[in-house]
Amino acid sequence: MTAFLQFQAITKRFPGVLALDGVGFTVERGTCHALIGENGAGKSTLGKILAGVQTADGGEIRLDGKVITPDSPLAARELGIAMVHQELAFCPNLSVAENLCLGDLPRRAGFVDRAELRKRAKAMLATIGADIDPDVIIGTLSTGREQLVQIAAAVGTGAKVIVMDEPSSSLSAAETAELFRLVRELKSRGITLIYVSHRLEELFALCDNITVLRDGKHVATERIADTTPQRVVTQMIGRELLFATPNHLAKSLGEERLKVASLASPGKFSGIDLSVRAGEIVGVAGIVGAGRSEVVEAIFGLDAAATGYITVKGAALPCGSRDAALAAGLGLVPEDRKRQGLVLGLNNRENTSLAALPALTSLGWVKRATERELAQRYTSRLRVKAPSLETITAGLSGGNQQKIALAKWLARSCDVLLIDEPTRGVDVGAKAEIYQLLDELACEGKALLVVSSELPELIGLCRRIVVMRNGGIAGEVQRADFSEAALMRLMAGVAAA
Amino acid sequence: MPSPLRSLLKFQESGLLLVILALGVLLTVFAGTVRTPLFERTADGGRQRVFTTGPDGERVPAFVEKNKFLNAQNLAQLAKDTSFTAIMAVGMAVVIIAGGIDLSVGSIYALASVMGAMVLNHYGPEGANNPALGVTLGIGACLGTALLCGLFNGGLIVALRVHPFIITLGAMAILRGIAFVATKGQSVGGFPAGLRDFVRYEMGDGLSVVPLAAMVLVTIAGWIFLSRMAAGRRVYAIGGNELAARFSGIRVERVKLGIYLLSGLTAGIAALLSLGYYGAATSGDGQGYELNVIAAAVVGGASLSGGRGSALGVVLGALIIQMISSGIVILGIDQNYSQIIIGTVVIAAVVLDNFNTWLAKRRLTQAK
Repeated sequence: MTAFLQFQAITKRFPGVLALDGVGFTVERGTCHALIGENGAGKSTLGKILAGVQTADGGEIRLDGKVITPDSPLAARELGIAMVHQELAFCPNLSVAENLCLGDLPRRAGFVDRAELRKRAKAMLATIGADIDPDVIIGTLSTGREQLVQIAAAVGTGAKVIVMDEPSSSLSAAETAELFRLVRELKSRGITLIYVSHRLEELFALCDNITVLRDGKHVATERIADTTPQRVVTQMIGRELLFATPNHLAKSLGEERLKVASLASPGKFSGIDLSVRAGEIVGVAGIVGAGRSEVVEAIFGLDAAATGYITVKGAALPCGSRDAALAAGLGLVPEDRKRQGLVLGLNNRENTSLAALPALTSLGWVKRATERELAQRYTSRLRVKAPSLETITAGLSGGNQQKIALAKWLARSCDVLLIDEPTRGVDVGAKAEIYQLLDELACEGKALLVVSSELPELIGLCRRIVVMRNGGIAGEVQRADFSEAALMRLMAGVAAA
Repeated sequence: MPSPLRSLLKFQESGLLLVILALGVLLTVFAGTVRTPLFERTADGGRQRVFTTGPDGERVPAFVEKNKFLNAQNLAQLAKDTSFTAIMAVGMAVVIIAGGIDLSVGSIYALASVMGAMVLNHYGPEGANNPALGVTLGIGACLGTALLCGLFNGGLIVALRVHPFIITLGAMAILRGIAFVATKGQSVGGFPAGLRDFVRYEMGDGLSVVPLAAMVLVTIAGWIFLSRMAAGRRVYAIGGNELAARFSGIRVERVKLGIYLLSGLTAGIAALLSLGYYGAATSGDGQGYELNVIAAAVVGGASLSGGRGSALGVVLGALIIQMISSGIVILGIDQNYSQIIIGTVVIAAVVLDNFNTWLAKRRLTQAK
């Protein structure tokens, strides 16, 4: 291999997690290099480090033999490295032309030279053959067309390396085909592409080489021609489970606690049928964008547009009413604990009691002794490591914050728990503790619906796994038939090998 | 460090107390003295001048030297002046902690004053043979109007999902406009004497205890509400992270409606005190109060991004602002500079607070 871009022992630490652990591999000039791994494997982090969005804590990157330090997106751009982001990277209120020239607006006597602006933007769009009106406001473009503008901006500023982070995750089939054509076109011009994705079939259709990451470590870098999808799946998984067979599986199931029938929400998901019995843990698998979180949020009554039938303990629940869901004994541990799960500025006691507040209140007063006792009971049951109950939650590690987000619903003694990503961004020790807790909860007869992007987690914990794809249910797998390969094929919609 | 001192320093508002203490010392030192005539009480309860014998045997009137800042009258005046803004600032604190803003408090104050004044005026100075009824209805009209104004703000913010800045900016103009139209721009006075006698009741050397007592009561009520009641906890939760509060089962809209009612109510209480104190109201009352009240809240540690602040803090903030504006008079600084100085103080307070937060964050990451 002729090394064009070299990563050497790249390390990146986030609070509580080692996101990248001494990753090293090389990328050839003018190739499309795939970067794959499960959620949390560190693939996006590596892409962001190269593009200067994040900086590495250790290791070095060489470009054409020279050590580079892209410590900001601007520095990376000057080195010829650009990134195409998943989400909006532009000012949505400005036009395509204005966004393309934002760093260097053509001026005449202090005024923006609109003719020159339009001319430059047209030229940039033409280099990638994109048929987009430069006067259109960015915010009105579809994600796919906006990505084209991002690519035009990258090529137009002379990028030699372009990092694409999950570029096809929200594209239609036609847009994806257009993207593929463009990627091949860029390659033929000698531009090197780093293609971050977890869609296997796409990588095999498009890329020359592939690097697999797992838990922040480099597993393999191979030529696509020398490997197979099955082999890559094994490389991505290849880790031992963190716990033994859970105890709840040995117990008999109770009555049906949650039943969902033909639940749908326009543009998000449709035809969702689910049921969870007392003492059962049911998993929901699917790739990002399959509609998993949207479904649990709708069950919890947070989606006003949802239609269908939800039954909790035999009683019908109106769709789109969070208050009714709460009254029926539902609890939701949301996907993003910082944004949705916790009020980080409050302390641990206040966060733990937040959902249980009505039960802790008499005549409007918070019963402080009861509150403290309740918070103490659940934080110690979950083994939250914090100086005290009065510690501000923002200061805890990810794992301990996640435990507080869980404790909040235990304190409310919910019978049916919807848990979205129970261990995202949590270190290994806390993960094992959370698994053990979920097992205990099921043994106590609670009904748990667990959404997760980490298949080993679902395989270890659940009795059944429901697989979602494109807003629908792709299938259901019983514990006896659990295998990561089978689940992944269902998730991606690939036929068995 | 001895532990009582340490626990005092840990106390959230200790910084504000230190600033007040420092301001007090500064003003005392630089204020200089004033000569005031000495009085004594006569046997029949009146007051008469005290005379002494001069060096050449003449009878000359006696004077005392008093510090311009540190004297009973000035402090009593300061306390009374602070109480109006402080009461409104407690309501504002609740709104700001919940992540909102209420720009209409000055106008609510004016409209509530004027509505109360019109009812009181209807019963006249003699109270139309029933002063008790007149005063009760006047109080009802004043507080009721203020609550309606709060309902107007909160209702529109919740129902239209428009930023509170816009709604209360509109309300600021609308409510004052209503007050103007209702009074045709005229001052309304001539109230039953009872109210004025009550609010103006003085103790000792001219200390108006009623506004002061109202301030203390409102502060305690605000403190209890924010730190001991479930509704107060919800206010902090919504201001800290509205989405997480919603996910935790908090009825966000209901809380939002409530906070604007509270803000209206505190403006109404201040308006009621002003009716009693000044005995008249016009639609121009309370012009610019919103700025003083927001400044007091911000100086007192309420964070405009929500989730942080306390009732006691904002009252101390109001005291700081008042000390500065009366300090300007005492120190003989040109009155025209007062706005410049107060504006600077507000900005400095926020910068200092940001610095403090940054320090705390750094300690947090280093502890890890």
